[in-house]
Amino acid sequence: MFLHNFLYEIKSSLRVRDLIFWLILFPMILGTFFKIAFGDLYEKQTKVSAIPTAIVETEQNEIFRSVVESVSKGDEPLLRAEYLSEEEALKKLGNDEIKGIIYTGDTITLTVAGDGVEQSVLKLFIEQYMTREKVITDTLASEPSKTQAVIAALSEEINTSEEAKLTEGNLDFYIQYFYNLIGMVAMYGSVTGLHVAIGQQANLSELGARKNCSATPKSVGILASLAGTWVVQSICMIICVSFTAFVLKVDYGDRLPFVYVAAVCGGILGVSFGFFIGSVGKMKQGAKVGICMSVSMALCFLSGLMVGNMKPIMAEKAPWFNNINPAALVTDSISALNLYSGYRVFITKVVTMLVISLIFYVLGLLMVRRRKYASL
Amino acid sequence: MENTVVKIDNLVKRYGELVALDHFSLEIKEGEIFGLLGPNGSGKTTTINCLLSLLSFDKGNIEIFGRKMTPVSYDIKKDIGIIMQNVVVSEELTVRENIDYFCGLYITDKKLRAQYVDEAIKFVGLEDFTKFYPKKLSGGLLRRLNIACGIAHKPKLIILDEPTVAVDPQSRNKILEGIQELNRSGVTIIYTSHYMEEVEQICTRIAIMDKGRKVAEGTKDELKRMIKNTETISIEVLGLGEDILAEMRALPHVYDVKYDEKMLVVSCSGGKHNLIRALDVLQKHEIGFGRVYSELPTLNEVFLEITGKALRDKED
Amino acid sequence: MQVFKLFMKILKKNIFTSMIYVIVFIAISIPMAKSAAADKTFKDSSLKIAIFDEDGTAESGALREFIGRKHELVELADDKDKIMQALYFDTVNYVLIINDGYGEKLAAGETEGMFSTYHMHDSYATVMVSQLLDSYVSSVRGYAAGGSDLASAEAKAADAVLQEAEVTIARNESGGVLSSSSASYFRYLAYILVSVIISALCPVLLKLSKKEFRFRTNCSCMKSSSYTMQVFAGSVVFIAVVWLIMMVVSVIQNGGMFTGNAWLAVLNSLVYTLICTAIALVICSFEPSDTVVNLVTQIVGLGSSFLCGVFVPQSMLGSGVLAAAKFLPAYWYVKAVEMLGGSEKFDGSRLAMYILIELGFAAALMLIALVVNRVKYTGAAIKLPKLAAEPQK
Repeated sequence: MFLHNFLYEIKSSLRVRDLIFWLILFPMILGTFFKIAFGDLYEKQTKVSAIPTAIVETEQNEIFRSVVESVSKGDEPLLRAEYLSEEEALKKLGNDEIKGIIYTGDTITLTVAGDGVEQSVLKLFIEQYMTREKVITDTLASEPSKTQAVIAALSEEINTSEEAKLTEGNLDFYIQYFYNLIGMVAMYGSVTGLHVAIGQQANLSELGARKNCSATPKSVGILASLAGTWVVQSICMIICVSFTAFVLKVDYGDRLPFVYVAAVCGGILGVSFGFFIGSVGKMKQGAKVGICMSVSMALCFLSGLMVGNMKPIMAEKAPWFNNINPAALVTDSISALNLYSGYRVFITKVVTMLVISLIFYVLGLLMVRRRKYASL
Repeated sequence: MENTVVKIDNLVKRYGELVALDHFSLEIKEGEIFGLLGPNGSGKTTTINCLLSLLSFDKGNIEIFGRKMTPVSYDIKKDIGIIMQNVVVSEELTVRENIDYFCGLYITDKKLRAQYVDEAIKFVGLEDFTKFYPKKLSGGLLRRLNIACGIAHKPKLIILDEPTVAVDPQSRNKILEGIQELNRSGVTIIYTSHYMEEVEQICTRIAIMDKGRKVAEGTKDELKRMIKNTETISIEVLGLGEDILAEMRALPHVYDVKYDEKMLVVSCSGGKHNLIRALDVLQKHEIGFGRVYSELPTLNEVFLEITGKALRDKED
Repeated sequence: MQVFKLFMKILKKNIFTSMIYVIVFIAISIPMAKSAAADKTFKDSSLKIAIFDEDGTAESGALREFIGRKHELVELADDKDKIMQALYFDTVNYVLIINDGYGEKLAAGETEGMFSTYHMHDSYATVMVSQLLDSYVSSVRGYAAGGSDLASAEAKAADAVLQEAEVTIARNESGGVLSSSSASYFRYLAYILVSVIISALCPVLLKLSKKEFRFRTNCSCMKSSSYTMQVFAGSVVFIAVVWLIMMVVSVIQNGGMFTGNAWLAVLNSLVYTLICTAIALVICSFEPSDTVVNLVTQIVGLGSSFLCGVFVPQSMLGSGVLAAAKFLPAYWYVKAVEMLGGSEKFDGSRLAMYILIELGFAAALMLIALVVNRVKYTGAAIKLPKLAAEPQK
């Protein structure tokens, strides 16, 4: 009887067209959106193209001029500078044609209209100039004969720091969004769990009533349906991971098989959550689906699906929550594989997922187990 | 001696203040087609749900096949087939798969089950539709599928809750014939319906429920004898005077005479030869007549008289 | 106005399901806006740095002191996992290891391999720290070349490097009418509004457009356009309430009523709400099931939000993406919000253009809804499912 119910659950689940779109096609579409939106992001953040700047020479400064000239040349110039009057410069700044105005007066000052990356680079450029200027001026004041040596020392390009590799994994911040995508698919599996609960209860569905009249014990029926749902949900998770890894070429690190494990466990967790919601109370199916969807969305949000730095904020304000938020557990288990060389954190997260799933299933079963109803 | 298949003893079921079943008792013997009649809200479906151990009840006892019925009496459930009021099938499975699925909730042997499924499909006449999905089937075919799902595992007791609602006459006939065929092979049937003609046609014994109580029980003849009207005589006559009508009224066992639109209707209670006496009156006055009918009361009339002629539309 | 009245009745019955979405999305909109921390740029340039000194010389001590003047020094255990965790969760932004031999190299004028660094997310700030170190070492070498001894070279270098450039931020008279958290809130409203409206409105619309009901309406003498307009009117009433709730939340968010040009943000959101309502109508005119509605909500909501700069600012998106995004209404909504938030100079006529474009989208979507409804629900276009029936004997 178990096998019979199990196989039929898989068969009928795979034929629910909506479900298949929802759990398979949708992640593909959203993943593709992510790839498109974030594809250029990394480049845009670290690579800065020549910044359009205006120089207003309130006082002549030959040295500064030559420095500006030198950084405006070459294959990757830092600035694209033009010398303007204050009025013209302010106008261009207002129209966003230039990012900043450098005033060469007694001291070099900067005027900007925003506080983005380019403005920050301009500030840094000026500070570096000021540093060099001071070193040279101090030398001129104390040991003018050594000025050439000083200039030579300053002009030498040096690279003092070597970036040490923390991990073999992918450190791209935006990969978090793909982890969250997997978490989202896992959470949306809650709808299938919901249908299992409703389909087994006589007071919630006629099919449930019909099954309750049969010679198959209720517990056997429920477990078989759940098992079937796990299989279907796992298939969906595997497809999601495979698509993002092999088609969108998202770099999950070099422990991809364990990513599958985390995803499948996440799917089981999602189903358990839906099963629990489905077994509580007598609300209509529509309302229960609404709760499943919106709570799933909220949990995904708190795990950083929409606003990337939500999770760190939660980690700061309520760190315990990240340890029980199902979406966060899925995300963290996969990123743990990416970041840590050992498996300790990964195993902790996976075990937590399975424990929470068990709790949901047990609670749900206790409620669904009721055999006679006061009213149907 | 016939065995008792179903025994309901003093069943009481309350929904808050409302008493849905009021000390309801019933006994159904093996091999009967037992009809359960009642207006909307009389408690028919509640009785069936309690019988199947889906609903809890406040007082009383239910036994099926001589054993107490509980939600975990799987050995009893194995021999019960249920065809619910609404079509309850899985939309994602084909006709054959649906029947196989529901049969599989009772029969674990794969080979045996395959044989039963084939027989069930043949029985309801769905051989041409085995690969169809429910949403592609018309109302009548869906009902047949519903029935096949309920009987495929060859139960000894079948409960049908209004199985022919919104069904075309062709399908309905097939269903009724099928029920009788099942009964001939030894299956006990409980049948609820609003359609009196069906109940009259196939049921061996009938119980009438009203407001949670049993108000009448017996074969259809026994029930018909319970009401006042035992014979209705209708004669086509042209031009009858008041004096003839008065003479008709004076006849023994006649309790009501009506004459309207060229039709004389004489209602009799008890007695024999009422028809001959009526015709004698007409012949005596040399009044010609056309068509003549003598009808026994219908179950509909029995039902309406016993439960009261007012329509009630509570939820069942 | 029969259809309008019916709409209201169905809405009343489904109010619970609809309001779940409203409540949950409002609940996440508040932390969403608050969390939109501005990128750490020169305004907020102090980072949290953990230093592991493997050299232990006076020179490394001086370096530590120097760094401590500009940034916040954080204690951290020397455990790779703990370091990873601290960097991941942003409790530390940068880890510096002063390699053994630093002091010697500095004195000798060598620069290779002085430091090893760990940092997680490449951003301007972390690049700046590397630049700072290079600048310091270069300046020390410079002063040393100029005849100073190491200790005084270090001290002078520290002073030289820590000079701050004077920066003035030119603000136009009417620039930045919205506070940064209000601007974020309104930006995220693009996602919230479209998600809430589709999720809350569609169940009601779907009940209204059930096939059997539509058949009956078609038999009556009501014009198809009148039907659609009444449905739209009912939707507008419901959505107006939802929008008002959102605006109340925005006022609370803002810490008080809006003034002056900030009301333009409110107007902008109202126009966008109309667009979302029209989107919901278009979706429902295709009669999707409950699950498909959810699916489409997420695709439209999340998809357009990511592409149009709701979650990731428009300035960060690639030019190709932005070019495609121009065909989505959310793009213009966000552009208007960004202008009001001060990311570009306030220009009344340009803002009016953005809002007009949004209105254009609303009108176009309404038209599509009208056309689809007319085509789908009148006469021969209605497709009845072909049902199998008993072959006639």
